[in-house]
Amino acid sequence: MSPLAGSYWGVTGFVVFWVLLAVALSLFARRLYFLYRSIRLGKPENRADKLVARAAHVLSVNITQSCTLKSVTRKDLSGIGHAMMFWGFGLFVIGYVIFTGLGAGFGLSSLFIGSTFERVYLSIMDIAALLFIIAVIMAVIKRYITKPERLERHESSKEKIIQASLFSIMVILMVLFYSMEGFRYAAYNNPGSWPLIGSAIARLLISTGIAQSTLLTTFMTIWWVNYVLLLVVVVYIPNSKHLHPLFSPTNILFKERGPKMSLLPILLEGEETFGVSKIQDFTWKQLLDLCACTWCGRCQDNCPAHNSGKTLSPREVILKLKEHLLETSPELLKGKTEITTEKPVKAMIGDVITEEEIWACTTCGACQEVCPVNIEHVRKIIDMRRNLVLTQNKMPESAQLMLRNMQSRGNPWAGIQSMRLRGDWTNGLDVKILTDGQNTDTLFWVGCTGALAERNVKSTLAMTRVLKAAGIDFGLLGDAETCCGDPARRAGYEFQFQIMAEQNIELFKSHNIKRIVTYCPHCFNTLKNEYPKYGGNFEVIHYTQLIADLIKQGKLKLTNELNAKLTYHDPCYLGRYNDVYQEPREILQSIPKTNLKEMERSRNKSFCCGGGGGLMWIEEQPGTTKINHLRLEDVLKTGADTVVTACPYCLQMFEEGIEHKGIQDKLKARDLVEIVEEAMK
Amino acid sequence: MHTIVCVKQVLDPEIPPAKFKIDPETKKVVPPAGVPPVISVFDERAVEAALKLKDKNKGKITVISMGSAKAADVVRHALSMGADDGFLLDDPLFENLDSFGTAYVLSKAIQKIGAYDLVLCGRQAADWGAGQVGSILAEVLGIPIVTLACNIEAIDKSVKIKRMVKDGYEVLEVPMPSVITVSSEIGLPRLPGGMGLMMARRKVIPTWKAQDIGAEASKLDKANAHTEVTGLSVPNRKTQCEFIPGTPGEAAGALAQKIVKLI
Repeated sequence: MSPLAGSYWGVTGFVVFWVLLAVALSLFARRLYFLYRSIRLGKPENRADKLVARAAHVLSVNITQSCTLKSVTRKDLSGIGHAMMFWGFGLFVIGYVIFTGLGAGFGLSSLFIGSTFERVYLSIMDIAALLFIIAVIMAVIKRYITKPERLERHESSKEKIIQASLFSIMVILMVLFYSMEGFRYAAYNNPGSWPLIGSAIARLLISTGIAQSTLLTTFMTIWWVNYVLLLVVVVYIPNSKHLHPLFSPTNILFKERGPKMSLLPILLEGEETFGVSKIQDFTWKQLLDLCACTWCGRCQDNCPAHNSGKTLSPREVILKLKEHLLETSPELLKGKTEITTEKPVKAMIGDVITEEEIWACTTCGACQEVCPVNIEHVRKIIDMRRNLVLTQNKMPESAQLMLRNMQSRGNPWAGIQSMRLRGDWTNGLDVKILTDGQNTDTLFWVGCTGALAERNVKSTLAMTRVLKAAGIDFGLLGDAETCCGDPARRAGYEFQFQIMAEQNIELFKSHNIKRIVTYCPHCFNTLKNEYPKYGGNFEVIHYTQLIADLIKQGKLKLTNELNAKLTYHDPCYLGRYNDVYQEPREILQSIPKTNLKEMERSRNKSFCCGGGGGLMWIEEQPGTTKINHLRLEDVLKTGADTVVTACPYCLQMFEEGIEHKGIQDKLKARDLVEIVEEAMK
Repeated sequence: MHTIVCVKQVLDPEIPPAKFKIDPETKKVVPPAGVPPVISVFDERAVEAALKLKDKNKGKITVISMGSAKAADVVRHALSMGADDGFLLDDPLFENLDSFGTAYVLSKAIQKIGAYDLVLCGRQAADWGAGQVGSILAEVLGIPIVTLACNIEAIDKSVKIKRMVKDGYEVLEVPMPSVITVSSEIGLPRLPGGMGLMMARRKVIPTWKAQDIGAEASKLDKANAHTEVTGLSVPNRKTQCEFIPGTPGEAAGALAQKIVKLI
């Protein structure tokens, strides 16, 4: 007998079932519609290209659970817990649809009750429930006993109770499932041998000799309790902070395709304010990000700013913005542009997110790399910087100095580095410096740091010697080279970047340039991934790619043994931004008897040197650890005597760290090209 | 409130000393290739002072610069910082003027612009550093001048000025219109913002010649100049660096002895 067949206080079970469902679904839909409208407060952004490929990606990520399994380490197994919970609950959702929905609600239970299909599926659910309970226990241990920092957040006691109730409801649902199985099989005196747990409970109940009618009534009662509890969960989810089961898959669907951590250009005309200063200045995708956050805190765990004691935590940025969105959207949805509540209005920049937080980001992208749901933290921070710099004229003095130099002198360096001019390093060298109208196939783009900073000029010189030895015909721009614009762009000074991009593209075209080899990964990323949006389509490669290729072709032979213990530091803009992990390692491995020891945090988990995002020139928050000093500790743990990198900023950052620690005799920082040159001779 | 700011284009003072060349024959500086000229840092502070006044009192800022067509860049820079209008004073007659000639040309341009409340200049130019134009300009215009202002506050028809002196500051109040030269203590010039950069791109900067502003050719004649450059040379500066070895105590002792010998 179906639980719906009965009559309750004069109302049939069917009516009760559908009325409850309708109430729950309408509450669910009402809240979901509010959230949808809140997200749509954002500005337009096109993320609807290649929808089939996007959908396929969402499915594969969800089914394989690569979203969280990718970040499982020996120290942190919670990804496995999440996968168990997802698979377990996924099977349950399907089970609820079949048995509760189709079976009870639509009265189709006769199709499968007592069938083999029913026994098989319930057996699967039997195991799924077990997996689910284990996963909940793991989560409870994590949250209440081991308490990793990434999960800790200030919560009110109400929130704490809700959180605990949710864990309890999850377990209760599973227990109710087992009980339903047991009581039903017992009531019909048909325990069978599987599903294992359900049948075992049934046999136990039969052995107690309880009357069958009592067993049946108990089953009915449990069924209804289970049903109501399920509906409570349905209503609870969109109304709680646990929005992620609803919005995370959607967020993955609309994830960034193409270059990673990319930024949207600002329209030069017709805007009155620039960047983002109010929540509705973000695009809808950026607001969707906020709702998708699961607060797992993996971003925070991997953030160099957070790890070095800065006030910035990428998780907090997302969660604080989400709270701000949900706080302000009811007023904004009434069509008010200015919010007038009794509470004092919070300024998004300043009150919700502080300027210190905004300026602490190195744009290294570690947060985005590890985020299970493809949240884009970096772009939001840059958007807020844009507002501070372009509209509010507020920035740290060090940032302003750098940007002023970019504006008036075409490079971010001042002080000792400006003791030379751009083309000085080429003095006395036999190299082709392009004159007006002269063409070249391959341009060696040196970059500001490689041309101006004394230490990096050494690498630049090594680079020209290596290129010549390999017989590459290349040209240089000499004095005519200016900055690629990256430091300005990452510091929010978008206009300066756009001016530089347009000028450089014109210059490249005037020399008929086809291929550009860069020394600096920041220039590499800018020229390769950002210039195409301004009409500059060139083949851009980083020198590590070129050299790896030359070695494969046999044009470069690294024959010298190096008597050194090496470790390689992945620059963020080469690795995470452009997935160049393999080539630098191939180069090092091709040196006879290389002794290369990897750091624990390497490749896509590489820890920033602290110099990206304009922070090469912007002062770190006073009283905090320097990011490069933290990274140096990683290097020292490997026991290497040489840290090799392929980025001028990283190189300077390591040298500063080594000097600060006074270990110049134990550890050297070298650019990869210098190692190549040494191994060539 | 209408403020007129006079700005000058100079050789980038940040160029490496080794690149600084002069031609003793023509008594002129030879600018190194590939280094764009910049706004005189002191004049940029004058623009900042004008913007600070505008932030508080609203009004309008007009920027003028005397120089070659390239000087349009410094006017545009001031516009991008937030100035409203800009004019370039470019005429072969304006070349090689001394402070008196320059002040005369500027005064003519200011009179052509018309009604104004304040004229701001940098405390001196970042190239020659004479620091005379502001004072002469006030004399020619027949209005008061305060030099080395580090704070300017408008009060009705007058301005209250904090003026830097060697061991502190003076507070002066002068009626408008007047000329004020601005000291570096006014604060770091702002970075051009998005709006400023956008507006500055669109603005047309008219060029005025001598006849446009009614400057008399005779007053610009070299024969009437008050000053003459008789020679120009780069100072021959030698530095010697010596490291004193030993423990801090020994090094300090040796250092003291060396200083004693020098005194």
